Amino acid sequence: MLGPFLETLIGGLLTGVLYSLVALGFVLIFKASGVFNFAQGAMVLFAALTLARLTGEIDGREVHLANFVIAAAILGTALAFVGWYAWREYMARGGGPAERNRMAVLAVVGAVIGGAVAWFYGKGSWPLWVALPATAAIMGVLAYAIERLVLRHLVNQEGIILFMATLGIAYFLDGFGQTLWGSDIYKIDLGLPKAPIFLFEDVFPGGLLVEPGDLVAALIAGLLVVVLAIFFQKTRIGRALRAVADDHAAAQSVGIPLNTIWLIVWTVSGFVALAAGVIWGAKLGVQFSISLIALKALPVLILGGFTSVPGAIVGGLIIGAGEKLSEVFLAPILVRQFDLAGGGIENWFAYMLALIFLLFRPQGLFGERIIERV
Amino acid sequence: MKRTRSFNEVLLAVENISLSFGGVKALSDISFDIAKGEIRAIIGPNGAGKSSMLNCINGFYHPQQGAITYKGVRRSQMRPHEAAEQGIARTFQNIALFRGMSTLDNIMTGRNLRMKTGLFWQALHVGPAAREEIEHRRAVEKIIDFLEIQHIRKVPVGQLPYGLQKRVELGRALAAQPELLLLDEPMAGMNIEEKQDMCRFVLDVNDEFGTTICLIEHDMGVVMDISDRVVVLDYGKKIGDGAPDEIKGNQAVIDAYLGVSH
Repeated sequence: MLGPFLETLIGGLLTGVLYSLVALGFVLIFKASGVFNFAQGAMVLFAALTLARLTGEIDGREVHLANFVIAAAILGTALAFVGWYAWREYMARGGGPAERNRMAVLAVVGAVIGGAVAWFYGKGSWPLWVALPATAAIMGVLAYAIERLVLRHLVNQEGIILFMATLGIAYFLDGFGQTLWGSDIYKIDLGLPKAPIFLFEDVFPGGLLVEPGDLVAALIAGLLVVVLAIFFQKTRIGRALRAVADDHAAAQSVGIPLNTIWLIVWTVSGFVALAAGVIWGAKLGVQFSISLIALKALPVLILGGFTSVPGAIVGGLIIGAGEKLSEVFLAPILVRQFDLAGGGIENWFAYMLALIFLLFRPQGLFGERIIERV
Repeated sequence: MKRTRSFNEVLLAVENISLSFGGVKALSDISFDIAKGEIRAIIGPNGAGKSSMLNCINGFYHPQQGAITYKGVRRSQMRPHEAAEQGIARTFQNIALFRGMSTLDNIMTGRNLRMKTGLFWQALHVGPAAREEIEHRRAVEKIIDFLEIQHIRKVPVGQLPYGLQKRVELGRALAAQPELLLLDEPMAGMNIEEKQDMCRFVLDVNDEFGTTICLIEHDMGVVMDISDRVVVLDYGKKIGDGAPDEIKGNQAVIDAYLGVSH
């Protein structure tokens, strides 16, 4: 009995990691702007789709050249920008002046490099090491566009208005992804070993079956959490992010540029979406149902607390494990005892758990206590 | 306490500022200046446009007409974080602290602009960034000592009583080492004892750090005691400007406060 239980538990936990990754993106934006970003799911899909098409598992279907050119240009510009930033940083340290036109020069150089890469690998299939940074750069540009075109005009507006804006962004991204990359189901191949690993074969008959891909996912999620937790708690930017979340006007008055902060947050959550998209896409294939996992992240957030990075992780794990265990072990009991059809528990378990939490602990496991002066 | 000090250098000059929201004129044709090193009070009945004036100075509002000259540079508008970069710090009428953060973190945000290390080191949180953090922490501890709030260092500010929150807000503004400090009703809702403390802090900041202060206050006793010059607004218009004693005898000001029909 213990063997199957552990196996289900591990399988559930590893699925939970995926929920956590999606929830993490929500938490980041919520922490920094108090906005529930409905578009997070769409961003996961968009990232996965972009990566899948750039790495191009193409079975006879052509990828449009324009896509590669654009992706390459963006990658090149991003490279240039990072180079420019590092240079400026270096010069600032030495006391040298930073000039604006260097940025333009480097951007051009970067774009040329990017173009060369695109041309060289222009056969419609990029290796992962080119496609991954390109996708990351595209997510960065996307974040910039969202900030510039939407959020900047909504400073100091009500939360509900910002939420509606993200709703619009979500549907736009869903459609725009199709326009760019087509609507077929794609596969992301990370080149990981497919053969399942069997653990503890001496202890349990047949051992415990674990997928290597799931282990990698867990590793990435763990790493992300540690980095983000340090980033948010310990650094100046982290403090600025929290400040912006608490009070726009006050943050501006101490010299925090709201627009820059929002750009950083959306970029980082774009990267998190990319991580989630890659892992999800590698596991289940890239299809439009991915954008619906945003809905699965909701109960995770309610469980963990909207403002807590560790909460997103623990919440995801609990829900992942909970729904698998209930499906495997609760369903047979229902069938036996009550003569029901059983099954389907996986679909509602998370939401039921969230409902219970809302009744008894609305701030979630790790969320900040809600103290309201009446 | 009565002080007569003289100031020569103008730090900030407001020229013919007009601001309206839709059809409502919040400020019309206001001009006055703030001298370097003085304590300048803005008073007036509710809705006179005092806070709007401060909001124009630190860039939250952009006046439709007029210009502001700060440190010799004339401008028609700027953004709040740019104002902060140029040494203008402020507090708010309804306390605007970061409620989820501790006193210490709140004041640390005030140091934000003084931190120089770039994104890269920040993200890694090693080397220069860590060293710098310690340096700023030291400066913040000095402010905490100055304002006598050592005991609430780690308490989330949302849980603090009103008077202390006001003090933390002042601390956050001071942390930026501003040249010009804008205080929007720093003593509103305080009891006598808290008011006395706050007066002392304002005077000490002015004396010890040489910070120029522009404050809005309703308590006339406080205003007349601590300020060098007073500007009086009513219905968005300037009706008086001068030393406290002159203002006390100004008929227009007395009328505005006692509500003589216009």
